[in-house]
Amino acid sequence: MTDAELIARAVVGDDRHAFAELVRRHQSAVRACLRRLTAGNHALADDLAQETFVQAWRGLKSFRQEARFSTWLYRIATNCWLADARKRKETLLGDSDDAIADEDGDEGAPASAGGGDHARGAVLRIDMERALGVLSEAERAAIVQCYHNDLSHEEAAFVLGCPVGTVKTHVHRAKQKLKVALASWAPER
Amino acid sequence: MNPTPDIDRDDDWLERLLVDDAHESRAAHVDDAGFTARVMGALPAPLALAFPRWRKPLEWALWGIAGTAIAASLPTMATDVAREMFRLIAAQPISPAHVLAVLAAMGAATFGGAAFVLRRD
Repeated sequence: MTDAELIARAVVGDDRHAFAELVRRHQSAVRACLRRLTAGNHALADDLAQETFVQAWRGLKSFRQEARFSTWLYRIATNCWLADARKRKETLLGDSDDAIADEDGDEGAPASAGGGDHARGAVLRIDMERALGVLSEAERAAIVQCYHNDLSHEEAAFVLGCPVGTVKTHVHRAKQKLKVALASWAPER
Repeated sequence: MNPTPDIDRDDDWLERLLVDDAHESRAAHVDDAGFTARVMGALPAPLALAFPRWRKPLEWALWGIAGTAIAASLPTMATDVAREMFRLIAAQPISPAHVLAVLAAMGAATFGGAAFVLRRD
């Protein structure tokens, strides 16, 4: 059964089993996106993911299929994260650092630790999460939508609710900051 | 000595880094682990079939109109029925057992009626 069919059943027949199937299908992508936006704070990301799906249920009647369902979910998720980030602006960075440290415990490890691809990926993830922490909320959201969620600039603009040009500007500025924050990964002279 | 990274020479390394990281993240599926059940538990309760607000006042108004119409069209029937009932009851020998039986029947009827109304609402 397609997403559109499940949505129709959920809207017309108030079918909660159909909505549960939609949650099951998209929970991984939404939670992964929010984990990246919250710089690795899994508990906060899951709380925001739950709020995302509750809001999706409430607004399902207004979903006009002008975008993919997953893109629409990313839009709700990003708005949830932005609203929460504004509320806890002062403590956000501290929480993110704690979350990374709690999860991995080897945050200071050099990029070459372990040697293999798996170790490189793990270290890159930690460094990337920390680097994303130096970006503004808009810049981080733009990077996550364009790279992590693999959306086009047009889709990212829909998710972020801003013009395509603004998305490009955020991505450009974010890359300038990331070049500095991830300087240890730059090719050697 | 660590070589100095050339961060301004080429943006490709950052592009590759972002793409690699995104691939890595997407490849890692987040296990449901009860998340769907948690979401379904957090959804608002289903709304009961909502009747319009004007339904009850309209019902009372219709009953009132019907009662008034019956009373107006049959002015002597109520008094005739009451008088006949009183005559029949007065003709019967009444004992305490009869009174108790009538009270029990009225109590049962009241209880049954109340239970029925509460069940419907």
